[in-house]
Amino acid sequence: MRIIYETSDGGVAVIVPAPEYLLTHTMEELAAKDVPAGANYEIVEDSVVPSDRAFRGAWTWA
Amino acid sequence: MATIINADTSDGLKLTSDTSGQIDFQSAGSTKATIDTSGNLKFDSGYGSVGTAYGCRAWVNFNGTGTVAIRDSGNVSSITDRGVGQYTVNFATNMPDADYAVHGSGKLADATNYGRQLYPTGTFTTSSCQFTAAISTASPVDLLHCCAIFTR
Repeated sequence: MRIIYETSDGGVAVIVPAPEYLLTHTMEELAAKDVPAGANYEIVEDSVVPSDRAFRGAWTWA
Repeated sequence: MATIINADTSDGLKLTSDTSGQIDFQSAGSTKATIDTSGNLKFDSGYGSVGTAYGCRAWVNFNGTGTVAIRDSGNVSSITDRGVGQYTVNFATNMPDADYAVHGSGKLADATNYGRQLYPTGTFTTSSCQFTAAISTASPVDLLHCCAIFTR
């Protein structure tokens, strides 16, 4: 699982959880801690995030 | 003064206690490690005398390109992929202040181009630290492997 959120400049940041942390915490708890306050975010499957980063800078929040 | 646990070479284990609150670990009457009343762990380990051990409070090794993923870590809740060559390390347990020391390193490919820089950028905070991967002042690049350690 990943957490994606909208950055202040309209881009997209991706939070990659540490496996160790998820042994004792949920993704929702991680989002509450590591997503900047007020940012729109969504918890998604790994496959939602493209592995092709050729245009990483062009990713936008839709 | 201290409570002493001594591995004596002739009498075996010897215990001496007092009310100082400090613990000394000795070998043949020579102090090899100490936990003082402030909670500082001090050890010798070839240093010549006991000195305070300043611990690595967090560390992470992660893949910085393709499917970004943490390979392994300690005291890290997550990393944030903020864009090409731009990452944030988020701590599981916050640092006591923002005056910790940081070291980052990385490499661009499996067999070549070692020694790429992963350097801290932005303001250190107690909960996270931002990094940029680049070659000198060139534009940020994604690194195959990224490593960061935090000492406090």
